[in-house]
Amino acid sequence: MIRRLLAVAAYPTLALLALLGGCGGGSGDVGTPVCTGACAPPVAAVDFLTVEDVQRVIAQATVEANARRSPATIAVVDRVGNVLGVFRMTGARSNFRISSGRGITGGLEQIDILPDTFAALTKAITGAYLSSNGNAFSTRTASQIVQEHFNPRELNQPGGPLYGVQFSQLSCSDLMRRTENGSVGPKRSPLGLSADPGGLPLYKNNRLVGGIGVIADGVYGLDLDITDVDQDTDELIAVAGSVGFAAPDDIRANRITADGRTFRYVDSELIQASAAPAFASLAGALVPIAGYFDGTVKSGVSFGNAASGFRADTGPFAAQGGFILVDSNNQNRYPVRDGTDGQMKANDATVIIQEALKIANRARAQIRRPLGSAVHVTITVVDSQGEVIGLARTPDGPVFGTDVSLQKARSALLFSHPNTAADIAALPTANYLGASGNPVTAFKTFAAYMAGTRQFFNDPTMFANGIAFSNRAVGNLHRPFFPDGILGAEPGPFSTPYSGWSPLHLGLQLDLNYNAIIASATGSPLVGCTGLARAKNGIQIFAGAFPIYRGSQLIGGIGISGDGIDQDDMVSFLGLANAGKILNNGIGHPPRSMRADILAPRGEGTRLRYASCPQAPFNDSTEQNVCEGL
Amino acid sequence: MTSPTLHRPVLKLIVVAVLGVTHASNFAQSLAPPAADKSADAADPTTIERQRPSSTPLKYIVPPIDPKQVPPPTPLMPRELVSVPDRWRIVDALDIKFPWYDPYNHNVYKGDKPFLPFAKWGPDWFLSLSAISDTLIETRRLPTPVGVQSTDRAGSNDLFGRARQTVLVETLILSVGVVKGNTTFKPPDYEFRLVPAIQVNQAFVGEVRGVRVDPRQGKKRTDSHLGIQEAFADVHLRNVSDRFDFDSVRVGIQPFISDFRGFIFQDVPVGVRLFGIRDNNTLQYNLGYFRRMEKDTNSGLNEVRKPVRRDHVLVANVYKQDFPVLGHTTQATIIHNINRESGRDYYDTNGALIRPAVIGDVRPHNYRVTYLGLNGDGHFGVWNLTSSLYGAFGTDFRNPVAEKKQRIRAGFAAAELSRDFSWLRVRGNALIASGDKNPFDGKATGFDAILENPQFAGADTSFFIRQGVPLIGGGGVALSGRNGILPSLRSSKDQGQSNFVNPGLTLFGIGADADLTPQVRVLANISKLNFVNTSVLGVLRNQKPPSKDLGVDVSIGAQYRPFMSQNIVLNTSAAALIPGKGLKQLYDEGRRGPQYSILMNLVLTY
Repeated sequence: MIRRLLAVAAYPTLALLALLGGCGGGSGDVGTPVCTGACAPPVAAVDFLTVEDVQRVIAQATVEANARRSPATIAVVDRVGNVLGVFRMTGARSNFRISSGRGITGGLEQIDILPDTFAALTKAITGAYLSSNGNAFSTRTASQIVQEHFNPRELNQPGGPLYGVQFSQLSCSDLMRRTENGSVGPKRSPLGLSADPGGLPLYKNNRLVGGIGVIADGVYGLDLDITDVDQDTDELIAVAGSVGFAAPDDIRANRITADGRTFRYVDSELIQASAAPAFASLAGALVPIAGYFDGTVKSGVSFGNAASGFRADTGPFAAQGGFILVDSNNQNRYPVRDGTDGQMKANDATVIIQEALKIANRARAQIRRPLGSAVHVTITVVDSQGEVIGLARTPDGPVFGTDVSLQKARSALLFSHPNTAADIAALPTANYLGASGNPVTAFKTFAAYMAGTRQFFNDPTMFANGIAFSNRAVGNLHRPFFPDGILGAEPGPFSTPYSGWSPLHLGLQLDLNYNAIIASATGSPLVGCTGLARAKNGIQIFAGAFPIYRGSQLIGGIGISGDGIDQDDMVSFLGLANAGKILNNGIGHPPRSMRADILAPRGEGTRLRYASCPQAPFNDSTEQNVCEGL
Repeated sequence: MTSPTLHRPVLKLIVVAVLGVTHASNFAQSLAPPAADKSADAADPTTIERQRPSSTPLKYIVPPIDPKQVPPPTPLMPRELVSVPDRWRIVDALDIKFPWYDPYNHNVYKGDKPFLPFAKWGPDWFLSLSAISDTLIETRRLPTPVGVQSTDRAGSNDLFGRARQTVLVETLILSVGVVKGNTTFKPPDYEFRLVPAIQVNQAFVGEVRGVRVDPRQGKKRTDSHLGIQEAFADVHLRNVSDRFDFDSVRVGIQPFISDFRGFIFQDVPVGVRLFGIRDNNTLQYNLGYFRRMEKDTNSGLNEVRKPVRRDHVLVANVYKQDFPVLGHTTQATIIHNINRESGRDYYDTNGALIRPAVIGDVRPHNYRVTYLGLNGDGHFGVWNLTSSLYGAFGTDFRNPVAEKKQRIRAGFAAAELSRDFSWLRVRGNALIASGDKNPFDGKATGFDAILENPQFAGADTSFFIRQGVPLIGGGGVALSGRNGILPSLRSSKDQGQSNFVNPGLTLFGIGADADLTPQVRVLANISKLNFVNTSVLGVLRNQKPPSKDLGVDVSIGAQYRPFMSQNIVLNTSAAALIPGKGLKQLYDEGRRGPQYSILMNLVLTY
């Protein structure tokens, strides 16, 4: 009784806080927007890389490379992936080999015909895209979170939280821009995201301004054993290049925890920085890359200004502090609109995104410092055809989440769609390349993937039976072990078996994109990665997206990316649930009896997951288990 | 015939009367003013002695021999000696015998009489057997995460799952002791002891992956283990005084407790201990070198099939009785713990990585720490006081959160003040263990022990001490270990490494023990618990450091000893942790209600 009285008494206080809070009050609800500093507009003068900065970064890197007698190729990008400089030192190898070090072939493994610039550029983009003003992540961080266990080699632990993120930002994406589309970002990456140490973010005045990527050792792989301390040449050169632009200590990956584990940032800190020689005196040359870089050092853009492709919304999401993507004419690239199938209206998308932003503004960030920060994410809503009908983000969401949120929304839609089994089965087989460009037999045909999946579930109607798949559930099927991480367990039906598995050869996700990735990399860029109309930028296989239903009818998908996977899950799950209450038109989650977590294909302990909302979800309350019963 | 017998007492009475008179007169003399007396003696040395009353001296009259009485003893003749095997068996010779299973009377299997098969080794070899059956039924609510890859039920959309757990444990402890020596006053010359323990345990939890790392193994776990809890030889080296002050050495797996309440180290490690007493048993000392044994995860018993841990404990302590006051013992101790477990990863039997702990960068590390302690136990007048003060100084050679070397500087203080009012003992408890302010700096200031087992503030009837609460979402560590009070964020109290980057704790509480009848004792405790600094909790969970308000631990227990002995003891208790704001920020208390435990424990001892 006393508790009840106290609870009643507390409500007016909360309401008052809502009015006072952050960057604008919400209405109708559940979320109280709170901004943690990131609402402040960018300061143009200090938060971009100048031409001199880019030259200095490259010059510093060359000094270390020379000291190590390891001529390198160095790329510098801005936060949205504009390529500011790519420099190949005299003597640097012009090719590299893709290898996880697991001694396998297939997938991208052993490909050695691609130019060194792709590796350097992908690593630079990774450093820039995975980071923000609240977190500095490197390619070494990426390596830690895409493997079969998290941490890698911690036996029987589930896979990395961002398992599959390496296949995002692809050059075939319909969201990521090409240089010929104008100067605005975010820009595509030749090989997605990299897990090969040697890619770091660059900062000026504690603001993320770009990234540096280095390849000198000729191998593009990952770090399979993170318990040792590597002396990685690529990384050492990148660290040297970043001197003066290094990430603030307090937001580096190694200050940030996920389930108590800190992330790796770099293994090798620079002992001593050397003075940078004049750029003109460097032995080597700037290397143009068709479709990415014209061979002239450029200055970067200031993130958050229209020129970056990201700016504050003045429309429906302004009240929640939302940002949007704009084109070179400063026009919203993805204004809310009615679905192409007429199922969802612009207002539906607006409310869903607004509610998701409100949750995001209250939610405890898992990958950001200082402690108690709100999450920063991108929110994308697609219609039943996979077309974007609304996209907004919080100001400081890492750029990678832009493409990933769309991939996720589409994946949740795709695998909940009854046509999916037939659509996937009809796709042409991935044409794997191996060493010297020789063909390698594909792991499976797409028809075999679908047949295997149906066998796995012992259900001939699988992926045609209307079961609602969240992205987390999709991910459960796309790990080398089922259940995830349990050694000795069978592989998930979308995965390669562990003996032939690596993050560069992981099964369905890569296979769907494979032909487009290779075509783009070898000079015939495509728009559309998979051949599936509903998954133009590829699928994503880690949590943070849900299909949207009206009653029991699939009408779209919502995808979130940018923070911890449980946060991504919660922002989308609660955002959609709360929007459903406000819209009151039947839109929301599917009935519980249709969700993928009714499936337990191997009995106890094999039930698929639908949603997983985090502990201590909100910064402004002690509530827990906030997704219960929804 | 009757007249002489009647006469004798009368005579005796007379004698007494006479003597009485004499004494009386002497007494009277002594009461005379000494000055006058002395002066009289000095003035007249020729004083004539007063004439004594005259009487006939008494004579002993030998009574006439009565042929019906027993004859008087004859002088001892060697050839007539009746053989008695040993002095312990004199009562046997009298045909006073007890059944072999009766532990209350002289029993050859309980070390009351020498064990004859050992006689070939010489005299005074004893065998002592005992057996203890410990049965536990415990039901509790502990925060339990749902399986991350797979949940038990559909619709589990959040991290915290069903929290109800039940544990059934049966432990059988056997003890075999072989002792040479007079066991009463003189310390034994040799002692050999072997204590195997067998346990079967069963746990039922609310979520898959709660008992084993593989969710397919479900929500129930049955496990068993045979551990060797003691296996030592004790050799009496010498006596150093007539009162059996001595030096002894004990080698093997042996129990050791660092102080009166087990705050730092209470274990059954393998090692060598030189110990003895001085000053008529008022001064005791221990010099020990131990290595911790590997433990079986679910039973906590020693695991002898695995190599001994690379964890070394060196101890020197001295106990001084009646210091500073009569009835109070003071102990000073130095304990040095060297941990070199930076080698291979070690997984527990449930499949969780426990060394290094899954925290920070999870890189293996070594540490070295010295504990300086001053402890007291006893009473000051009617007030009983137990106190403990420790400083921990050392180095963590590479802390996994700070990712660098850290100096360990931590402190601990605890005191229990109590007073007895007839059948009631009322206690006040206070404890402070320092916490770490900044997990990333070069100093580790959170206090941790080696292997604590604190008998304090309700001990195993209290919730916080008894239960190990996992730090869900904060890595593979527990907020506090089972039967531990320090919230030291270790992977396992038994199997993990110490962690000096922890939030610390303050405890202030009161309690009472009431001996309601000789058979029934009721204990109640209430303690306010606070963290000292929650920075590290904030870092590990990547949340704003939670409130320091941990909660209030309320517990009540009853002990029933039907025969007023330790042979049958039934303990029951119920405890709850009423959450403070800090706990609500960590767990789902607000939604599910407080954590609690209810248990019943039957101990049968032979």
